[in-house]
Amino acid sequence: MVSELLASAIRMGLPVLLAALGAVYSERSGVVNIGLEGMMITGSFWGAVGAYYAGPLAGMALAVAASVLMALVHAVVSVTFRVDQIVSGVALNILAYGAARFSSIALFQKATMSPHVQGFTPISVPGLDQVPWLKPLVTNLSPLVVVGFLLVPLSYWVIEKTVFGLRLRAVGENPLAADTLGLKVFHLRYAGVLLSGVLAGLAGAYLSVEHTGMYVEGMTQGKGYIALAAMIFGNWSPVGAMGAALLFGFAESLSFRVVESAVVPYQFIKMIPYALTLVVLAGVLKRTRPPAADGIPYEREEA
Amino acid sequence: MRKRYRYVALELASPLVAIAFAVLVGAVVIAAIGKNPVQVYRIMFTFAFRRLDSVGIMLFGATPLIFSGLAVAISFRAGLFNIGVEGQYLIGTFLAALAGFALKGLPSFVHLPLVIVVAALGGALWSLLPIYLKVRRGVHEVISTIMLNYIAFSLIHYLIADVFMDKQQGLMPGVGNPLIRLPKIAASALMPRMHGFLALLGVDLPRHVYLNWFFPLGLLLAVAVHYLIWRTAFGYELRAVGHNPAAAEAAGIDPAAVQIRAFLLSGLIAGVTGLSDLLSYFGYMDLDFPKGYGFTGIAVALMGKNSPLGIVLAALLFGFLNRGAEGVQTFAGVPMDTVVILQGVMILSIVVASAVMGRYIRRQERKEALGASW
Amino acid sequence: MAFLELREVTKRFPGVVANDRISLEIDRGEIRALVGENGAGKSTLMKVLSGLYQPDAGEIRLDGRRVVIDSPRRAIELGIGMVHQHFMLIPRFTVLENIVLGSEPARGGLLREREARRIVGELCQKYEFTLDLGARVEDLSVGAQQRVEILKVLYRGAEILILDEPTAVLAPQEVRELFVNLRHLRDQGKTIIFISHKLDEVLEIADRISVLRRGVLVGTVRREETERAALARMMVGRPVLLELEKGPYRPGEDRLVVEDLTVPGPGGRPAVRRVSLRVRAGEIYGIAGIEGNGQSELVEALSGLRRASAGRILIGGVSVTEATMRRMRPVTEGRVRRARPVAEGRVRRLRELGLAHIPEDRQRRGLILAMTVWENGVLGLHRSPSFARRGWLQVRPIKKHAQSLVREFDIRLPGLDIPVRNVSGGNQQKLILARELGREPTLIVASQPTRGLDIGATEFVRQQLLRARDRGRAVLLVSADLEEVLSLSDRVGVMYGGELVAEFRPGEVTPEEIGHYMLGGRARATEAAVGGTRGADGAGGTGGAGGGVGPAGGTGGAAGADGGVRGRGGAGEAGGTGGGMA
Repeated sequence: MVSELLASAIRMGLPVLLAALGAVYSERSGVVNIGLEGMMITGSFWGAVGAYYAGPLAGMALAVAASVLMALVHAVVSVTFRVDQIVSGVALNILAYGAARFSSIALFQKATMSPHVQGFTPISVPGLDQVPWLKPLVTNLSPLVVVGFLLVPLSYWVIEKTVFGLRLRAVGENPLAADTLGLKVFHLRYAGVLLSGVLAGLAGAYLSVEHTGMYVEGMTQGKGYIALAAMIFGNWSPVGAMGAALLFGFAESLSFRVVESAVVPYQFIKMIPYALTLVVLAGVLKRTRPPAADGIPYEREEA
Repeated sequence: MRKRYRYVALELASPLVAIAFAVLVGAVVIAAIGKNPVQVYRIMFTFAFRRLDSVGIMLFGATPLIFSGLAVAISFRAGLFNIGVEGQYLIGTFLAALAGFALKGLPSFVHLPLVIVVAALGGALWSLLPIYLKVRRGVHEVISTIMLNYIAFSLIHYLIADVFMDKQQGLMPGVGNPLIRLPKIAASALMPRMHGFLALLGVDLPRHVYLNWFFPLGLLLAVAVHYLIWRTAFGYELRAVGHNPAAAEAAGIDPAAVQIRAFLLSGLIAGVTGLSDLLSYFGYMDLDFPKGYGFTGIAVALMGKNSPLGIVLAALLFGFLNRGAEGVQTFAGVPMDTVVILQGVMILSIVVASAVMGRYIRRQERKEALGASW
Repeated sequence: MAFLELREVTKRFPGVVANDRISLEIDRGEIRALVGENGAGKSTLMKVLSGLYQPDAGEIRLDGRRVVIDSPRRAIELGIGMVHQHFMLIPRFTVLENIVLGSEPARGGLLREREARRIVGELCQKYEFTLDLGARVEDLSVGAQQRVEILKVLYRGAEILILDEPTAVLAPQEVRELFVNLRHLRDQGKTIIFISHKLDEVLEIADRISVLRRGVLVGTVRREETERAALARMMVGRPVLLELEKGPYRPGEDRLVVEDLTVPGPGGRPAVRRVSLRVRAGEIYGIAGIEGNGQSELVEALSGLRRASAGRILIGGVSVTEATMRRMRPVTEGRVRRARPVAEGRVRRLRELGLAHIPEDRQRRGLILAMTVWENGVLGLHRSPSFARRGWLQVRPIKKHAQSLVREFDIRLPGLDIPVRNVSGGNQQKLILARELGREPTLIVASQPTRGLDIGATEFVRQQLLRARDRGRAVLLVSADLEEVLSLSDRVGVMYGGELVAEFRPGEVTPEEIGHYMLGGRARATEAAVGGTRGADGAGGTGGAGGGVGPAGGTGGAAGADGGVRGRGGAGEAGGTGGGMA
């Protein structure tokens, strides 16, 4: 029972986790990425398109490509042109919403959903699937779940132990100092934003291809924003983001059970992730410490 | 001094550049689905401007955007980003609908203003928590307002479907299902349309146009907001806090207090956004009540550069886009959602154009200023 | 042949020629001082050398070959290293990370930390630097942070070190330590360019001295062949007025009384500890001390911008502490700005009691850069009956007021309608001064009032403060410029580690003694610690700069606070010079 709940929490929390990891890369480089939601929308739609025409792997590839394109727009607007990062992100979300609807009509003759698509063949962890209480956790897994959780230690390692990570953090803390040391501030910030595009695209594709089996308009349900909150809650670290994402996944899977029991009107159950986000942010924010230059466009002195 | 006018002209140029760029992107998108962009744009214009009803519908369509755009702009001016207009107007609309059908027998000159006030208060109510969390707990208003939008959607859904749904809908037995909607609003709370007034001016607006007095009300509000921002002590403080809260604080202005007031004011205006639709076109609130005015309001505010006049123009532009898109969808088979893409591209290009233009102007101004002091 | 040669280097900015055909020849292994007032073009020249600016004309030769320095990276490759005035450090990173950043020892993209530690350790040994490589930079003293900066450029193999106003933030003893380091570097063959406007220091450390004035090289002299007055004449082009006009000292009643005031700093640790002082009508009370020793927090507490945790403040005999003692509440301006206390009308009440505040960071605290000159002229007065009636701004009176401020304080502007952002620094400060002094205040709290101003504006500001004193106002002057504090003040207090460690009248004590106080009276202990570590490596490694000897907590807190201040200053500067940020 507990492990089933946990397994469901993992499934529910995965898109938040992936997007939150993306947010970590972007924000550690100093770029606030509220456009995650739009990138996830893009990913969910193009993931379904790719999967529909050429299978799940193509879905992932197409989702990532489309989402990275959105991320590129965000980077151009907010890094190169130094527009307020939140404005840019919000505009991106509006654009993504319209583009998904438009493309959906163009491709599927319907604005709001795609046909059913085939996901990956679920996998099981050999050996562990014999242990009864572990069974729900290690069988019938989407390969993306495995990838997602492997990405957590990988991201930690990249950010904390590699030269790239050190430099990424440097431009997020003090871009001017990084610049004087010859680091390419814009390149690094682009890298952070584009990586967040990759991960948000995967997150969106997971929703449509793996979780639901089709694209439905509005299926991201604000998970991009929740991912941002999860990253804040996790204090801008991959491991912390994982913890927060699991918490949200847990809340969501728990809420599904409550819906089944039909005690509380389901509309209130639907509010839980959002209310939880508010509570979490209200409770935690003082203890966290964002990168010092997070959200501030970098501009070389012109004179 | 003549240079100043040049700067103003440059400042104005950025929305035009943005529109041009969006039109270009739109053309590419239209071409991508195998249509002729020139033809599509021509249909858009002729459909929107050659017909009297289209013009009326454009103004009607612009009305809610004037309110939501002003709401967003006021928060922007105070250094806040109210993305919660969406949820705020839904709550405001719901409460207005409630007051509209629950209160009966009031004279119109009491009932209608009352409903408007209730809507505004509803919007302010829904902006209370985010600004509290912002000031007291440091929660960024962007995230909290978005969360509250989702909560508002669910809450309204619950209240309409499960609590206040109209059970006495006059359906013929055996025909269809009852609509999931609230009871109809009393006639005393409905906003009169402008047909009678326009007829006096010799303009005969067709019956299917719902242009009503909320449009001139929106224009009046824009004028009021203009004076508020530029000519009152509160507007001064609003701008000071928006530009530099630390300096405002050192000058004895309490940034938190100003931001709270500004945000609540933004919520008040946001609350009224949905009324033009509710109190003339629908007459009741249902689950399909138009959504998205809040988000479009952000686009409108950015397009209008947070100036009330600009917002009115931007709202009219968006009204035109929507009406034109209807024509395009009907007569050229291009999905209406092209418009949303256009809007997204417009916002992105306007902010980029403004940033580039602003920097250029500042550099020029500094040159000038240095010239004067050396 | 000269090691580094500049030929006719010219750099123009809109409206000003910052460097006008400057030619310089600098030898290998020399310490060359570059002096000049603020705005003389020193920093611009150095930015040209370090690749941040491109010259509009002229050429640079290194070892006889013409070089183009088109980026900081290129400068580093050429062996030119810049130690910036505002340290370019990342507070959250360790000393080691800061030093190797940008040219990290790595294998396959993976940072080789042990290797890095070895290389940097060897550097420290070679040049006799004491530093704890694992410490976070935000926990270091200013002197130690400066050593990190110097090590950074040495690590990159710099042959030429450029130090931009390196002593500005150091205490006299720390300055001496720096000079020991610099001489050592020179003796090992490094070339050092030392930018300063402090003539005494230049005369002590430099081999040759080049003087800039208004973008032009006035001349280069050997240290042995010149003296202070001559240099000063070269620098300003006219004899310096060191004596200021000052009326007789006739102090009146207490205008400001501070009793046992304790103020928490940004991290919650006390930044001001049990400070007591009084400022009387008709006197200037100066506070000296190295920046980051609680002066900023003291001023913020006095001006109502920061809450005290204990103690009392009385202004004109009225206790304002009750208001100052309410609990702290953070306001976060988006996630990008730091939490800070809420004013809640306290500032306004203090202002009504006659307080005028000239904030240390004028662009951050004193002005709304995006608003016009006339609007800024009434900032804080905009609710007064003459400027607002029933909530409506009275535009004409406000503009008239601005006009009179501009006239009285000789503020030079193209018009009242331009944003203050586009006004020069000196005129910005004059505008603040005009606004604050024009209110006829009884108490003036002025923090770093002449920082970054050219000599004309500096003189003007000082005269205004003296005039206010002569007219019976009480003035609390906080300045990192010791000369300024000593020449303006009637009484002086020295702050160290949040405490007021000494109080005296100028002339009663020698500069050496003051320096001693500025280091918390543990100057000798520091020297001993440095000496000690020199002998046994690692003994002082934990605390750095003798932190282990004195109150280590105090040092850390001060350094941390200082880091915060500098961070903001940096951002403000970038905004101001770069055309402002949204």
